[in-house]
Amino acid sequence: MSILEGGILQVFAGINTSDLVTVVWIGFFALTFLYQTRIQSYMALSEISRGLNKLKVMKDKARKDAIDYLVNVGKAPGDPSQRVDQFLDYVAIMPVDMDPAGIVGKVDHIVTTNNDRVRAEVGALLKQNNPVTVSISENLLEVATSLNQIHKIVRHYYLLGKKTNSYFTLVQLQMLMPMIIQEADALLNAVDSFKLGQPVGDGIGPIVVSRFMAGKEKRVIAKDTVMTITEYKGRKLYVLKADGPMAYVGQPGVAIQKIVGEMGVKPSAIVMIDAALKLEGEKTGEIAEGVGAAIGGIGVEKFQIEEAATRVKVPLYAILVKQSILEAITVMRKEIAEAADKVTQVLNRVIEEKTKEGDDVVVAGIGNTLGVAQ
Amino acid sequence: MMSSVPGPDKKSKLLVYTIEECPVCGQKTKRAFAVGDYVTKEAAKCSKCGNPTRIGLVYAESMKQSG
Ligand SMILES: [Zn+2]
Repeated sequence: MSILEGGILQVFAGINTSDLVTVVWIGFFALTFLYQTRIQSYMALSEISRGLNKLKVMKDKARKDAIDYLVNVGKAPGDPSQRVDQFLDYVAIMPVDMDPAGIVGKVDHIVTTNNDRVRAEVGALLKQNNPVTVSISENLLEVATSLNQIHKIVRHYYLLGKKTNSYFTLVQLQMLMPMIIQEADALLNAVDSFKLGQPVGDGIGPIVVSRFMAGKEKRVIAKDTVMTITEYKGRKLYVLKADGPMAYVGQPGVAIQKIVGEMGVKPSAIVMIDAALKLEGEKTGEIAEGVGAAIGGIGVEKFQIEEAATRVKVPLYAILVKQSILEAITVMRKEIAEAADKVTQVLNRVIEEKTKEGDDVVVAGIGNTLGVAQ
Repeated sequence: MMSSVPGPDKKSKLLVYTIEECPVCGQKTKRAFAVGDYVTKEAAKCSKCGNPTRIGLVYAESMKQSG
């Protein structure tokens, strides 16, 4: 006992405080160096877990909003919760792409089948057929499905990373989290605009072409898609958009194929007006011009339009209105709405410059036509 | 009915307006958005010339701006 005490005292007597601090520091650095990834994993886990909770609140709210809309506005008889839950987990299985020839037709077939199913199910659920209410319900259910999917996928990687203690899985997910939350937030905000039937930023193309169609004769040219034949400075215009004010995007690809195919029209130009995602730093409502098929989505419509234009050798012109993902799917901002006049001027100029009197021109307003009739 | 949606920066609320345009004299009237409004829908008679107007635009403005 006394020998031990004496030994320790001797040891301490030989060390001054600054040496002790140095030892503690070295120990601290050694620990952080050795357990750095472990510590970062914990931090990532807690941050992802917070984001995951946020996502869960969001998806639950979207689901509840959809159910409330079905009951209050759609007058769905009984409680639609169970059907809605089945709906949220419904999957569309994409075709195999090992032999990619002809895959667009297959994707189109599956997407069309899915869209028809959604509409039929919503129609049956609502026991009414006001097309605006049905289309809004479809969109609300799609938003709820997307949020449900996002939540599920993030949860999968979170649990997988936790279970396997995989530092890189967790850190990657942690880095993606702010972007995922931002996108989910945009989707949730879209619910408010959809419920009220307000035009969204994506509806700028339809708003511009609706000015050529208002008060004129319309015909259905493809599913949910209408066309007006009108005239501008001696050119014959084939103006098309999805059938508003329902929340439709229509089938502009099928429509353009029909115009240059079945109808035998030989246009000198196809002009497409669409919303485009802006880069950070770009101004909302900025207008860009270009060539090519201006249309988003899974790619089927784009393929059909490019294919039709190439077949008859017609130039494709694009007029784009820049906006963020949030602005595109929520109520139209003033900056975007005010671009409508400028886009109309650009459209007129493109028609005047690229075609001559007596020509045929196809003008397509691409985007969701919620709150935009014709 | 006035509707407000959280703005992009979360702090400012958005107010939604409907713009009625007279196709004859070009008079534009700004009013609050009402459920059921949509672009090209026939709206109230023009206050200037009495012709029926159409809804030309529906858009949201941040509450911080004038309006
Ligand atoms: Zn007037």
